[in-house]
Amino acid sequence: MTTPPRMRDLAHRLLAYEAVAGKTSEPLESATLRVYEKLRQGICAFAGVAAFESLAFRALTQAKSEAPDLWAVQVAADGSLRGLVEFEPKSNIEKNHAGEDRTGEGGIILITRLLGLLLLFLGEALTLSLLRVKWPDAAFDDSNSENGRKV
Amino acid sequence: MSTQDKVKINKLPTGVPGLDEIVGGGLPEFSFNIIAGAPGSGKTTLAHQFVFTNATPERPALYFTVLGESAIKMLRYQQQYTFFDPAKLPDSIRFINLSQVVLEKDLGAVLEEITKEVEKANPAVVVVDSFRTMVRKPQSDMDLQSFIQRLALFLASWQATTFLIGEYAEEELRDNPIFTVADGLFWLRQTAERNSIVRKLQIIKLRGQDSVPGLHTFRITDAGVQAFSRTFGLTARKRNPPRDRRLSFGIPELDKMLDGGVREGDSVLIAGSSGTGKSVLATQFIADGIRQGEPGIVAVFEERPEAYAKRAASLGLDLETPQKEGELTILYLRPLDLSVDETMQSILDAVQKIGAKRLVIDSLAGFEMALSPGFRADFRESLYRMIFALTGIGVTILSTVEVDESFTEFPFSTYSISFLCDDIIRLRYVSIDGQLRKIMVVIKMRGGNHAKDIREYEITSKGVVILGKRLTEYQGLISGIPVHSDRSDPKEELS
Repeated sequence: MTTPPRMRDLAHRLLAYEAVAGKTSEPLESATLRVYEKLRQGICAFAGVAAFESLAFRALTQAKSEAPDLWAVQVAADGSLRGLVEFEPKSNIEKNHAGEDRTGEGGIILITRLLGLLLLFLGEALTLSLLRVKWPDAAFDDSNSENGRKV
Repeated sequence: MSTQDKVKINKLPTGVPGLDEIVGGGLPEFSFNIIAGAPGSGKTTLAHQFVFTNATPERPALYFTVLGESAIKMLRYQQQYTFFDPAKLPDSIRFINLSQVVLEKDLGAVLEEITKEVEKANPAVVVVDSFRTMVRKPQSDMDLQSFIQRLALFLASWQATTFLIGEYAEEELRDNPIFTVADGLFWLRQTAERNSIVRKLQIIKLRGQDSVPGLHTFRITDAGVQAFSRTFGLTARKRNPPRDRRLSFGIPELDKMLDGGVREGDSVLIAGSSGTGKSVLATQFIADGIRQGEPGIVAVFEERPEAYAKRAASLGLDLETPQKEGELTILYLRPLDLSVDETMQSILDAVQKIGAKRLVIDSLAGFEMALSPGFRADFRESLYRMIFALTGIGVTILSTVEVDESFTEFPFSTYSISFLCDDIIRLRYVSIDGQLRKIMVVIKMRGGNHAKDIREYEITSKGVVILGKRLTEYQGLISGIPVHSDRSDPKEELS
């Protein structure tokens, strides 16, 4: 099963956004965990912990098939992610040879899968609506990128 | 206490077509309502329509989900309806899940959580879907009645209009103290009758409102719930005083038989067996109305509008042009599982849309067949309500009905609906001089001095043409086997 390239792009942008934010607030927490945690809070609020835990478990299962390095990562009963810190011990933003930001691949895949499931079940409008609540300063499409900080 | 001293209760639009009329003009603001019914009866959809209609960023709606249907799946399905506007989320409509609180704590904690969210958002609308699942938790320090009592008091103080949604079976309605707390109790029913699903809505109570009693049909389409009031929304309208104006059939001889024509606002029944020209007469009636500047509606069930117009054209009657010019609507109502009320609502909508003065229902047998089997039992009663409502506002209705020819009886209708009709015209075949010919007689005309003549007629390229004078030389014409006055033996006539 593949997710739309747009979801991967969106995941990448969210992680990059949080990587920048993380440098000033909680630098020890990985960008993947920050994005994941915001999604967890947002989804739990309207759908409940059990619904999020199910979605996250499914997303992680899908992600593991693409990124074997995620094998140790688990979703706890409250929906939180366990084992990702060990996988991404410091910052998951690295510089590649061209000097561009590169997010940890496992993190991108996991967030992409989670966003993909949201897109599948809720559709684009409600998914973006959810993201806007958690990232109010960010713009999620080209049409309104001038209204907020583009991620 | 004068009128100006009384508190004014604002009425909120329900967002459900037809429901505002049923609840007496809208839902009372700040009312505390329960929507009850079996799973799948449309409770959540109805609540969503209200929420999407009334929520604003300034006074949002809070939609609390508890146990039961997954909120993700609920949103997945609900957004398929046309009323669902994703742009209203989250500023105007916020979904909040309370399942964890219900699972881990008690009803007191649930109330606390709702209180916290309401104080934060100052909502105009609050929905708890489904509150029934909360009471299934075995250990609770607060019973459901007390929970609802406190919730109702709190939400009323916060000026919120509230809906609690609960799965209830019919037998739970009696002696349930929870329902006494509610200002409004909406009961949705869904039953299978033969191969059809019949949905009905009942406003069991609604404080401070003059709601329409009884069971109202409703349907769930891609636009959500649509309700059909038993009174078709016409009870509140003033009935027009009876008029003496006569409407022509465009057949001078028939108009004479009707003492000048059909009285405006009458219900006319044309009864006859197959091929006697009922539809031809109906078409001539509607076409003459258009000639006189009276818009018309033809509701057909047995042939498509194109075929109906084509057949009219063969009689020299142009129904195409008036359709294009908005003076005529030919409604084709043939889908299965229609309820009487929604069929009639379609007719009423068409009547009101073009300001129709004449309505043809061709035929009652086709109408009945188009209905879901479960609704056929209500056919006569619903027909009565529609005829009463429409004639009351001055619409003249002409219905056709097929009757089986009998040589021992002279029936007017197989539906026992003649009492609903002001005027009855009977067409029938007779055997005369070795030919199967046609006769027409005005059986009844309420308040009119109609002709008693039995007239022979033919269907020609100009429509129904009444021949000569009354048939005086035959006896027993209405039996179908008349006897020539000069002869005495019917067998001789037939030979």
